[in-house]
Amino acid sequence: MLHLAASGPVIPNFSAHSSSCAVHNRLLCWDWLKANWGLVLWPALRQHVVLTLIAVGIGFAISMTLALYAHRHRWAERPVMLFTTFLYTIPSLALFELLVAPVGQNVFAAEIALVSYTLLILFRNILTGLRSVPGEVLEAAEGMGMTPRQTLLRIELPLALPAIVAGLRIAVVTIIALATIVYTIYDRGLGVPIHQALGEGPFKTELLAAGGMAILLALLADGLLVGLQRALTPWARMRSAA
Amino acid sequence: MQATRTGARRRWRGIAALVAALGVAIALAACGSSKSSSTSLTSTSGSSGSPGAGKPAITIGDKNFGEEYILGDLYAQALEAKGYSVKLKENIGSSELIYKALTSGQIDFYPEYTGTLLSAVAEQSKEPTSEKGAYEEAKAFVEKHGFTLLNYTPFYDSDALATLPAYAEQNKLASIEDLKPLGKKVTVGGPAEFATRFEGLKGLKSLYGVVPTFKPFSIELGYKALEGKESDVQVVFSTDGQLLGGKFKVLADPKHVFGFQNVAPVLKKSLLTEEGPAFEETVNKVSALLTTQAMQQMNKAVTLEKQSPAAVAKEFLKANGLV
Amino acid sequence: MSDFGDAFRFIVHNGAVPGNPGLPSLVHLALETLKVGAIGVAISLVLAAPLGIWLGHVHRGSFFAINVGNVGRALPSLAVLAIGDAFLGLGLGVVELALVVLAFAPIVTNAYLGIVEVDPELVDAARGMGMGEMEILRRVELPLAIPLIFAGIRTASLFVISTTTIASLAGFSGTLGDVIANETSYHFSGVLGAAICVAALALGVEGLLALLQRAVTPRGVLLESAGYGAMTEAIVGQG
Repeated sequence: MLHLAASGPVIPNFSAHSSSCAVHNRLLCWDWLKANWGLVLWPALRQHVVLTLIAVGIGFAISMTLALYAHRHRWAERPVMLFTTFLYTIPSLALFELLVAPVGQNVFAAEIALVSYTLLILFRNILTGLRSVPGEVLEAAEGMGMTPRQTLLRIELPLALPAIVAGLRIAVVTIIALATIVYTIYDRGLGVPIHQALGEGPFKTELLAAGGMAILLALLADGLLVGLQRALTPWARMRSAA
Repeated sequence: MQATRTGARRRWRGIAALVAALGVAIALAACGSSKSSSTSLTSTSGSSGSPGAGKPAITIGDKNFGEEYILGDLYAQALEAKGYSVKLKENIGSSELIYKALTSGQIDFYPEYTGTLLSAVAEQSKEPTSEKGAYEEAKAFVEKHGFTLLNYTPFYDSDALATLPAYAEQNKLASIEDLKPLGKKVTVGGPAEFATRFEGLKGLKSLYGVVPTFKPFSIELGYKALEGKESDVQVVFSTDGQLLGGKFKVLADPKHVFGFQNVAPVLKKSLLTEEGPAFEETVNKVSALLTTQAMQQMNKAVTLEKQSPAAVAKEFLKANGLV
Repeated sequence: MSDFGDAFRFIVHNGAVPGNPGLPSLVHLALETLKVGAIGVAISLVLAAPLGIWLGHVHRGSFFAINVGNVGRALPSLAVLAIGDAFLGLGLGVVELALVVLAFAPIVTNAYLGIVEVDPELVDAARGMGMGEMEILRRVELPLAIPLIFAGIRTASLFVISTTTIASLAGFSGTLGDVIANETSYHFSGVLGAAICVAALALGVEGLLALLQRAVTPRGVLLESAGYGAMTEAIVGQG
């Protein structure tokens, strides 16, 4: 049975470590942020980035495969579009829960859902990009004796790059936003501290820190990918000034 | 054509860079994504030896509220200090979901409340009559399914009725039966389920003859409601941090209408043989330390003082020589 | 998959949970979800569509029209709602504000693009025929822009339904998201049931809007653009 020391356990003075700023729920408690950065905020940020990269990576691989296939076999476009649109239309919170039933509350359910949301965007953009190659260029390539594979690698994909990178940009930003909801089925990502903060008051410092990081991450990723888009296609005058 | 070729080369370099970046990121993910929350906390120059070294990894889960996070961290860190390899999966959900995670093998171990195990998981309606009774019944239930319970904690965290000291003095309230003469004049606030549960209005009526006016409130708003005089009495948890410091008075429950809710770790029976005797010993040592005072202080540190459960758990274990 | 069986039972019982009286019915929650979403989209439409259409007609403000879309899409709604909750409290007004802001972007961007991309020769021809600006807008530009404008509305509706359910995570109550956010009271069967309802709702609204778009699109335009293609142009935006 239980063997308690006569005096009971030693209970340390936790208050010695508490930040009075946090207790009073002031706007930005630097001491709390410093104390909890390594323990709460940084892991959440790191997990968030990882979730996003895995989802976009896998989504890109799948979409590229499907797009290349649909590029050669036109009949495939419609069913793929319908299916990916169907997935995209299901609100994220619902899709996560629907996946938990068969898959369980783990990384797989989270990533399957996130990947689903990238497919429509990436498939559509890659295909549009491939299709946007002018017929004359393709004819010239054929005239030069290029095989379909060479044409694909040296002409079509490079010319499709603007659309592809634009798609990646939208996908990355979308997934960063959606990954904040992952915590409902898998405790990773910036949603974890946001949820924690909401349950405590809300606890302003943690909320601003985690929520702010999510927003900044999205804007940063968007900015970086715009830069990449521009760097890769210096000759193209984008219709959008973005 | 010249321009196209160099342009193409530049583009391919760009694509290669993109793919490389993605690859590096995914590699980092694969290596760094396991969240053993305590690796940065436990001191490797720790306690007596490493009986856990080389033993199979243990996956601990916890439910979706503060006290459970603390419990999960306590057991995880204590075991890690003994050299065990532990994975902590936090915030899995309510009893229903976490028990499912246990039976489906996603976790091996989680801290459960004996009363909840009986009512929510075993779906028993008979009320146990003592702490030990509740524990034995819960243990008997899980052992039928290949699991077992380790020792239960001194503290229990059941519902409780709290009120403002001024109100208690005014109406001479020391225990729940003192509410009987107030009849419908007293407003009790609590979660919606309280109205139909035995550990709720039903039990209050049959065990104490108390028939108050009930007002639904979500549990998190309980203390605010008391302070704002929106209700006279609120349903709270007996180990809430807010109960320290005398701001609220808890009414005694001599007839145990709210049952017994000691914590006992539920785990796969096979774990005991796989992990060796030090495993059981360490877990029981931690459980033995958890008195009501200790839990209240830890809950206070997490809920009211916004400290992280992992840090609070570490401090407690350190002060008691387990880490 | 007994989970789905339990979930369907939950749905069929209109969201009743044994042992927990006084929970709002599923139908009520679903209607509230639609109502909250519809208000957001409607307000946004009234503000954003005319703006986008006008900017497109006069061929100005492309930077604004297209980038507001980018920023709108980049904001994680949970973060925005949570911060709104912390500082403004999450009443209907604040949630609607968030929804309007979210819906604004795709509507204005697509309205702008729809008008701007009308073949300038057609517009010139109309001007040459003596049509006034408003008439050109009404008889030439708008009919041709309908697919994209509708695409914007469909995208906006999708974002809005999604965000309305997410608002429950931040503390806003009254919609289907409540059930999903409250597994402790509703049990997993309830959560799954509500998730199915939310998905059905979103797909239903999307389907309805698609039909509406087809009904409103002039035949000539309809023959040119693929139905779903128009929707995704909105997402692609500017290549």
